[in-house]
Amino acid sequence: MTGLLARSNPLLLLAWAALAMVAAVAVRDLLTGVVMLALVVGIGLVVLPGRSGPRLRYLVVLLAALSTGWSTWLVGDRDLVVAVTAGLRVSVLALPGVALAPLVDPSELADQLAQRLKLPARGVIAVTAALQRIDLMAETWRQVSRTRRARGGGPGRGPVSQLRHLGSVSFAVLVATMRQATAMATAMDARGFDGADRRSWAELGPWRRSDTALLVLGVVLTILPYVLWWSR
Amino acid sequence: MSVAVRLRDFGWRPLRRRRPVLSGLDLTIEQGERVGVVGPSGAGKSSLLHAIAGILGATVPGHLDGSVETSGRVGMVLQDPAAAVVADRIGRDVAFGPENVGLAREQIWARVHESLDRVGLTQGPDHPTSALSGGERQRLALAGALALDPAILLLDEATSMLQSDQAEQVRRAVGECVADRRTTLVVVDHHIGPWLGELDRIVVLAEDGSTIELDDPGRLVADHGERLTAAGIWLPGIPAPPPSRIHDDLVAPDGPGPSLAVRQLGVELTSRRIRGTTTTVAVDRLDLDLASASLTALTGASGVGKSTVLAVLAGLQTPTRGTISGLDRSLHTERSPHTERSLHTLGSLDLARQVGWVPQTAEHGFLTSRVRDEIEFTSARLGRHVDTDQVLEVLRLSHLAEANPYRLSGGEQRRLALAAALAHRPGLIAADEPTVGQDRHTWAAVTGWLRGAADSGATVAIASHDPAVIDTADARVALTGRFG
Repeated sequence: MTGLLARSNPLLLLAWAALAMVAAVAVRDLLTGVVMLALVVGIGLVVLPGRSGPRLRYLVVLLAALSTGWSTWLVGDRDLVVAVTAGLRVSVLALPGVALAPLVDPSELADQLAQRLKLPARGVIAVTAALQRIDLMAETWRQVSRTRRARGGGPGRGPVSQLRHLGSVSFAVLVATMRQATAMATAMDARGFDGADRRSWAELGPWRRSDTALLVLGVVLTILPYVLWWSR
Repeated sequence: MSVAVRLRDFGWRPLRRRRPVLSGLDLTIEQGERVGVVGPSGAGKSSLLHAIAGILGATVPGHLDGSVETSGRVGMVLQDPAAAVVADRIGRDVAFGPENVGLAREQIWARVHESLDRVGLTQGPDHPTSALSGGERQRLALAGALALDPAILLLDEATSMLQSDQAEQVRRAVGECVADRRTTLVVVDHHIGPWLGELDRIVVLAEDGSTIELDDPGRLVADHGERLTAAGIWLPGIPAPPPSRIHDDLVAPDGPGPSLAVRQLGVELTSRRIRGTTTTVAVDRLDLDLASASLTALTGASGVGKSTVLAVLAGLQTPTRGTISGLDRSLHTERSPHTERSLHTLGSLDLARQVGWVPQTAEHGFLTSRVRDEIEFTSARLGRHVDTDQVLEVLRLSHLAEANPYRLSGGEQRRLALAAALAHRPGLIAADEPTVGQDRHTWAAVTGWLRGAADSGATVAIASHDPAVIDTADARVALTGRFG
């Protein structure tokens, strides 16, 4: 646990997540799968900071891997090797992205995308503003379900009622989110966003030598499974 | 002197509303002038500001008449400060405006520090915006507007969620801004009194859509006090009206409400975010007694846990520690008539039968698409009769009976939320900031409702910053301090 990634450039995090997807395509046999997953987990343990986001998120990867493996086993002539390989492929694909997501700071990412990659400012701002609102949705969800419960509109004990309630709260949260988005657009335009043709940026995080080194490492790791694949 | 704002024969009708909110409005504001806008709830005060900011018809859907001209950059502080947050750190949030106009990096940060100083936010630019209280967010929104160095500054209830000392600080910051720079100022505030010293002119929007312009704010109370008070407008030095008398049929619960004894209550709130889970202590070792047939006011600065206590009382928040006794008698539910249960374990219908909860954010609570249906919803579920027309009339919402709840003004939405939460006459009432955004008439109706419920037997708890409603309470409990 060196926490090397805690201070790295968000573009590097994005690149690693993308490279993992490219690497996963080449996971075609059990050995490659085992080697790649071991490398991903091993490197993750070294470079990730100790406390980085909810642990529960790894469960998503596990579920995805298990369900893919299971369905491959069912349709793929019950071949265990093929099924395990499929599960490993999904793990290699998703694990880096899921592990790195909490480390990405939305406004730092916006700075990098707009200034280093020269992406259009309006799109970048819109996306990061949306990312920044995700946390707010949880709060809205709580408010909406509380009012429903207090007013006798909460769910009963049966699964059908629970499910219907879930749908109705989701819809209400969606509506509230759209309304908040309108309010936010109003607030942003009131602060000059609508006429921002030549926008400047208050900050730009550095691209360090360690970022370059880690990027090279990522590229090498991405090439590795292709080498293994073609060498057999 | 040049003209900063000119409205000619201006009219505005929100989407799916039959009557316009504003019509035939003519208003000219000179550059550097400071104007206060007052009027009863729903008179179109916020709409007027939105018109000047140029967002009606574009960002907000509806039908426009006449013309609006403005000269110079407009900075606006909106009613809901949470909606204005665009970044996760306060420095970057304030920098958003200067970035949009393309300032150089050093200038941006100079503006950021200057603006944060002016509104008295001293936590430093790296402080997370998510950790701000409602009042602090209001000041952040003002800093964001000031950082743009606006030619026209529009404030929509910019101090409504602040304690009086914080509100004074914001008014001073605004005063400094308009003093040095010939900035035009338009202020909308239900309580215009504290602003009067800063203003050159008052515009009164009447309920029928007509306007009155007064050139000497100092003479406002002396010359027009009686007429404006009759129109429902809050003026300095004129005491709050008595709470309206509400007929027992509308508010009296089936039997007396519970007498509650809260002991050593502790609540820890866990918020799950993408970047991890944080736990904060919202309430710690609180003792509180609520008598039946009485109104208890919880007071204290924003962030001390008033809303959390109300949510616990209403069975919506599970306490981490402590006990609440006194509920068992009223908790005999249809399904389990002899077991003792606490409120937060009850099913939704059983809970609604006991409790009415008026949320602070009104619009998250709406369940239907019509004001009338909204009021009848809970009663229909419980099989109780409610005289909807009477409720609408008492709360001055009759003309909106068929409207969509989301198209109402801020004050109207809050009254509707109150009616929706309480029309089924529960014995235990928890109301969070029930009087925000109300004029004198609607204030009297809201306070009268809560007072009437308490007088006819209900146990009523409110959380409030409003000294007038706190005065009407039978008991006051001051919550103190942040907890470590």
